[in-house]
Amino acid sequence: MGASLIGLALVVALPLLFVLLQAVFPALPSESFRTPFAHWAEVATDSRLPGLLANTLLLGVGVCLLCVVLALPLSLLRGLTDLPAGGLWDLLFLIPFMLPPYIGAFAWVLSLQPRGYSSQLFGFSAGDFLFSPAGIVAVMGLHLFPVVYFALSRTLAAIGPRFADIGRVCGATPAYALLRTILPLSIPALLGGLLLVFALTIEEYGTPAALGRRSQFLVLVTSIEEKLAEWPIDLPGAALLSVVLMLLALGAFLLQHVVASRHPVASVGGKHTARAVFALGPWKGPAVVLFALVTLFAVILPVGAVTATAFSKTLSGSLAWDNFGWRHFDAVFSNRSGALDALLNSLALAGVAALGAGLLGGLAAFVSVRSQMHGRRLVDGLSILPTALPGMVLAVGLILAWNRSWWPFPVYNTPIVLLLAYVALLLPYPVRYVSAGLRQIGPSLDDAARVSGAGPFRLFRRILLPLVAPHFLVAMLMVFAIASRELVASVMLAPSGLKTVSTFVFNQFAQGSPGAGMALSVVAIFSTSAILVLLARLWRVDAR
Amino acid sequence: MKLLSTLALAAALALPAAAQAQTLTVYTAGPANLAKTLSEGFEKLSGSKVNVFQGTTGQVMARLAAEKSNPQADVLISASWDTAVDLKARGELLAFDAPNAAAVPANLKDSHYVAQGAAALAIVWNSKSGKPRPVDWADLAKADYKDAVTMPDPASSGAAFGLVSGLTKSGTGWKVFEDLKANNMIVPGANAQALNPVMQGAKAAVMGAADYIALDAKANGESVEVIYPASGTVLEARPAMIFKTTKNEAAAKAFINYMLSDEGQKLVADTYLLPSRADVAAKRPGYKDIKLMEVADATPQQRADILARFKTTLGLK
Repeated sequence: MGASLIGLALVVALPLLFVLLQAVFPALPSESFRTPFAHWAEVATDSRLPGLLANTLLLGVGVCLLCVVLALPLSLLRGLTDLPAGGLWDLLFLIPFMLPPYIGAFAWVLSLQPRGYSSQLFGFSAGDFLFSPAGIVAVMGLHLFPVVYFALSRTLAAIGPRFADIGRVCGATPAYALLRTILPLSIPALLGGLLLVFALTIEEYGTPAALGRRSQFLVLVTSIEEKLAEWPIDLPGAALLSVVLMLLALGAFLLQHVVASRHPVASVGGKHTARAVFALGPWKGPAVVLFALVTLFAVILPVGAVTATAFSKTLSGSLAWDNFGWRHFDAVFSNRSGALDALLNSLALAGVAALGAGLLGGLAAFVSVRSQMHGRRLVDGLSILPTALPGMVLAVGLILAWNRSWWPFPVYNTPIVLLLAYVALLLPYPVRYVSAGLRQIGPSLDDAARVSGAGPFRLFRRILLPLVAPHFLVAMLMVFAIASRELVASVMLAPSGLKTVSTFVFNQFAQGSPGAGMALSVVAIFSTSAILVLLARLWRVDAR
Repeated sequence: MKLLSTLALAAALALPAAAQAQTLTVYTAGPANLAKTLSEGFEKLSGSKVNVFQGTTGQVMARLAAEKSNPQADVLISASWDTAVDLKARGELLAFDAPNAAAVPANLKDSHYVAQGAAALAIVWNSKSGKPRPVDWADLAKADYKDAVTMPDPASSGAAFGLVSGLTKSGTGWKVFEDLKANNMIVPGANAQALNPVMQGAKAAVMGAADYIALDAKANGESVEVIYPASGTVLEARPAMIFKTTKNEAAAKAFINYMLSDEGQKLVADTYLLPSRADVAAKRPGYKDIKLMEVADATPQQRADILARFKTTLGLK
């Protein structure tokens, strides 16, 4: 128990504390507490602020809605029916996570802008839509809906069979059982997923920056990023606006909590039948078509555009056979600019981050759901906050915290500080997913175990752990996928001399050679997917 | 458990040990390859190790600001001259004298900083765009170029700011930007964001792109042309400087002197940047071939005013 608190304090609370201090004391980087609040008036009276806030909320809510529309039907099919190739769809939906949002948005630009790939292939372009607020919502929703899909489909799979059986015993039709018991019981999982999506949307910089500037759709993060990138650098202002973002996320967290606690969901007790509730029968075809359609837009089109760019000798040469070439892949595999080193670094860091986040997140979830400890709600709330913090700002917090001469051992300027950033940023995945799983396990199981003479450790190892394992593993796979391409914190925190996939890709992009960056993205997506397939096989995540 | 130990092993192998005390730390904006070749060349020559952090000027500056309580960088190479002027005024820089700087033109050096090289701003035109080849800035404001022009954001690019301030010096200069606004010119972000739509053909020309990136793209076969306007353009020199807080003063000075050596300047020239030493051959139009306009250094207040007027003129928020 105590371990989870100490871990959270070090990983999450410490950098947050320094962001808060920076928001109050502008001279903090020079180790001074003079002139507190000096910059508040300027930030608060910025005439753009109300518009930025409104746009941020609009974007967050819009993306959440789109995620529900996309994820709900897919999760129902995946969780409750005998949908063919379930594991394959899961893997495909993990792929968008392996693409940095910035590159994903750029892929859409290359596809849809005038003379882009769609106009070269099919003769239409949709630049006006893409660069509008609706376009931003579409791109972000397609990128983020798997967060809801994974949370919801796992939950439905766990509760579906049992409650369908009860429904049938009481004479309800399957449809009635679905509407009246199964769906209401899955609301907490849905909300947990949406909370993550909301937090991720309001802190995401790449997509609004790449798409929103043309239609003047600016959000809070755009302004935070300006303060951090334009000379003179304004750390206090950026920190203060980040606190506003965190308050928004905290509000969403409280809302989620209020709604979720109205729905007690303990639903797994005793025997757990592992079979689908509904046989799709003749609807198998349409269900597969629906999955294929979403895959087309969320996965194949963006990844296809990235691949096409990687295989194009020049961008101005269009999609033509004489423009096809291996030049950019040669550059990656020859390791001239250190592309392969970057790939190995990223995979190793992502692996360790997945283990760290899994361990700490699992513990935190266990404390907040199963223990009677004081402050367990604090543990729950604390674990969501870093997600709402723009990566850049979390990085600043980590630098302020760890770049101090008083630490007895160096953390800053070593890979450890990158791991700290990844674990803090990605902790919410294991926390949300595992606590959703734990909430479904009825206390009767604890009682049964205790009656049979099992201690708390044995209860955890023999009963709780096996039951939450699927949630746990999906969360760790997501951490792995996201950490392997995390950009924003990596840029700020990578020890000098250490490259990661994302920093490499970004640099290539900033130096006007997107092709080389795209080639490394393709290699990274394929190697990350291969590793995920291997792990999934090893752990049989897709078996249910 | 096996997986755990494998990953731990992989991590241990892939990640270098913490930086040692004797290494020189260089923070640099600009081409990653240049950072790599320069540091490798210096390592070979001097025997000391160089750790490089390379990013955009914004990223480098944000990192420096956050590290202030315990500075890590010895040498900074920025892509924006203003940052050097500002850091010197704040008293954060060390005065130094690099013997190899003798051949650097006077406007590209100071007691506390010296240019590594320079880029000029240019019109970058996609020759497959079907639009007439522009020869001057004002051509991009003509009706031919409706919906076809992009420009890097002067708020984030020091050079683009120089261009705006140079063009609008006369007062009537704002007319060009009003016409560009009427042409729906977009200001999508930093250099790369302005250049990419032109490379794919969504737009026809960039107003004021850093030339070396486009020259490199052209050398790789992209159908772009780099055009230096007849009415003149601005140079963006890349100042190299040493922080007062450095514990490696000798190595830092030696690094900058190496950067200005024949060998170092050739590495700079290889990236299509203009070497700062006038006596080193450039792989591109040199100081004599490009007409420059007069731009006075702007005070912070003047800078803010010009940026504000730019935003209003182009209808940006």
